[in-house]
Amino acid sequence: MKIHIHYRFLLILLMMVSYVVHAQDAEKNTLLLGLKYNNHNNQEQYLHAQVKSKINGKFQMIEGIKLKCYISDETVDANLIGQAITNGKGEATILIPASVQDVWKSSPSQTFIITSGKTIEYDASRSDLTITKAKIKIDTAEGRIINANILALVDSVWTPVKDADMFVGVKRLGGNLNVNETETYPIDSLGAVAAEFKLEAIPGDKNGNIVLIAGVYENDSYGTVTAEMSVPWGEKTVYVSNYDERSLFARRGKSPLWLELMAYSIVAGVWGVLIYLIIQIRKIIKLGVE
Amino acid sequence: MEKVARQHIIEDLLPQKFGKQGRLWVASLIILCLIGLFAYIRQLSKGLVVTSMRDYVSWGIYISNFVFFVAISLVGSLITAVLRLSDVNWSTPLTRIAEIIAVSAITFAGLIIVVDMGRPDRFYNLFIHGRLQSPIVWDVIVITTYLIISCLLLYFPLLPDLKIMMEFKEKSNTFLLKIYRFMGNYWKNKPEQFRISEKAINILSITIIPVAFSIHTVTSWLFATTYRPGWDSTNFGAYFISGAFLVGAGGVVVAMYVFRTHYKLEKYIKDEHFDKMGKVLVMLALLYLYFNVNEFLVPAFKMKKPEKEHLIDLFTGEFAPIFWFAILTSMILPIIILLFKKGRKPKAAFVAGILVVIGSWFKRYIIVTPTLLHPFLPMRDVPANYRHYYPSWEEWAIAIGSLAGALLVITIFARIFPIIPIHETITETEEHENTHSL
Repeated sequence: MKIHIHYRFLLILLMMVSYVVHAQDAEKNTLLLGLKYNNHNNQEQYLHAQVKSKINGKFQMIEGIKLKCYISDETVDANLIGQAITNGKGEATILIPASVQDVWKSSPSQTFIITSGKTIEYDASRSDLTITKAKIKIDTAEGRIINANILALVDSVWTPVKDADMFVGVKRLGGNLNVNETETYPIDSLGAVAAEFKLEAIPGDKNGNIVLIAGVYENDSYGTVTAEMSVPWGEKTVYVSNYDERSLFARRGKSPLWLELMAYSIVAGVWGVLIYLIIQIRKIIKLGVE
Repeated sequence: MEKVARQHIIEDLLPQKFGKQGRLWVASLIILCLIGLFAYIRQLSKGLVVTSMRDYVSWGIYISNFVFFVAISLVGSLITAVLRLSDVNWSTPLTRIAEIIAVSAITFAGLIIVVDMGRPDRFYNLFIHGRLQSPIVWDVIVITTYLIISCLLLYFPLLPDLKIMMEFKEKSNTFLLKIYRFMGNYWKNKPEQFRISEKAINILSITIIPVAFSIHTVTSWLFATTYRPGWDSTNFGAYFISGAFLVGAGGVVVAMYVFRTHYKLEKYIKDEHFDKMGKVLVMLALLYLYFNVNEFLVPAFKMKKPEKEHLIDLFTGEFAPIFWFAILTSMILPIIILLFKKGRKPKAAFVAGILVVIGSWFKRYIIVTPTLLHPFLPMRDVPANYRHYYPSWEEWAIAIGSLAGALLVITIFARIFPIIPIHETITETEEHENTHSL
């Protein structure tokens, strides 16, 4: 009997040990939140969040994480600027709404906080980002020169930025294209760069307009700041409709002539023979009646 | 003496009334057709949702059945035209069997397409919106043309037989006599009538060959012009035609055996016919096997990713049992049976023919459905059941009903008209006797 009790005790002990081991195995993963600030044309300010976690020794982007984003350094409801859920790439975008403009205008630099709540798989997580407000002005000069300068808000005064490189290019469907062989330009003491537009015969819209872009990307102080302007330096794109052209993929009645000729001659040939044979039946009938 | 022989041939070959077995056979076919009709009415009232066809498999067993019908109809051109033009006289007793198989099969091929469309009025849209560039339009043109040619090829040689049947009034009833008179009252056995008829049959025999090749090539293009794994082949026309000749010849062997045993036609459909048709079948099965090796070995050697999924599904996956069953029954087993002289005896050849026909039906299913389950660009977030296809009972009922319908047409034709051409048999017998007496 005693031995039996001992066995039972051992069994319970074993179960407890295995539970502890299992509980250790089932430790929650840590979420790493990344936050980036973007200012486009000095009109659209938004935050771009990325959520990843190290799972089985590899970083993986995590989908479906609910994020809360705050302005200022306190995570109180009054500072909440938006909520988002990460997409399949573990990314989410949050626009800075007009409702927080008073807080936004109150300081030349801003702090943003992003948080994720506790879930079954992950612990709660938090990250913050402090930026200095900056903007880019873009213009053109004679001889197809693009001038751009970047200014940062220092003590309520827009002051030229000196410690950054700027990209100047032209917007295309698949990304931005350099306007000449130089990719980025060091900013001078006035916070300005000048780039010569050397591209020839670049397709534009129907009026030949293309979009120039100047930007400072993922800067530690200013985030990503870009500005665009449209100029008529491209080739005019004329849309030619092929709706009425004859082709194998055209609409009804617009098949290629060679196909029509072939198809109709075969049909006419074979049905000509059949009509001839039906006439032969009529002949046989006539012979029978005579 | 000649008159006596003629009398015997006519009495042997005139259409016979259905016996007990025949009536049972007809009743079974009618029941299957009615079940199919009921299922079709359900499909008409509730829509194509009663089928298992969804966004992935939009061509199910209806289209498999269509391809099967088109394939088997090709036998009309093989037996009637190719053998006739090659001066192969032994095929005379088989010509009408082949032609009626062709006519009934091509009729039901057309009907099953209308069934597949869902609402039958959509067929009208084909005429008002159809594009000449589309192989579907070519298919409609070619099927209609082939049906007309096959009907004419059935009708011309029937004319002298109609005259004979009208002469033997006591063997017919009033209704049948009315049919014979309507169809051939004007036939008076005049030499000029024979001359025109012979000429017409020769023209038809020549015309039907390119049309028959077109009908199945165009059917193969319905698939090959669609960019999908398993169909993206330049080989498809020849592959389909070789398969069509095989199933058609198999169908004729089955029909030969059934008519021979049921109507006691051993004197006309002889062991020699089974021997020769058996050899034709072996040749066609080997040819089709060759095309199959081409069709599967080359993509399997390259194993491009979308093709790989499709081929693995066929070779070892979900469709492997049907795939190997089709290959074995439509080609390998018939070749093994028919290679031996004993295998070309009527009963063994009949078994081989049955295997060919059944295997060929499943082969068409294998051509149509698995490909549709493996598109190059898979759809996102489709329900799980879209990724599998098993026909609903309505689809089975309609498909089986259509097969029964084709058999019913052949059966009724054999009840009304002689299944072996009487006049041609008499002429050939007389010619044969004259040659021997000389």
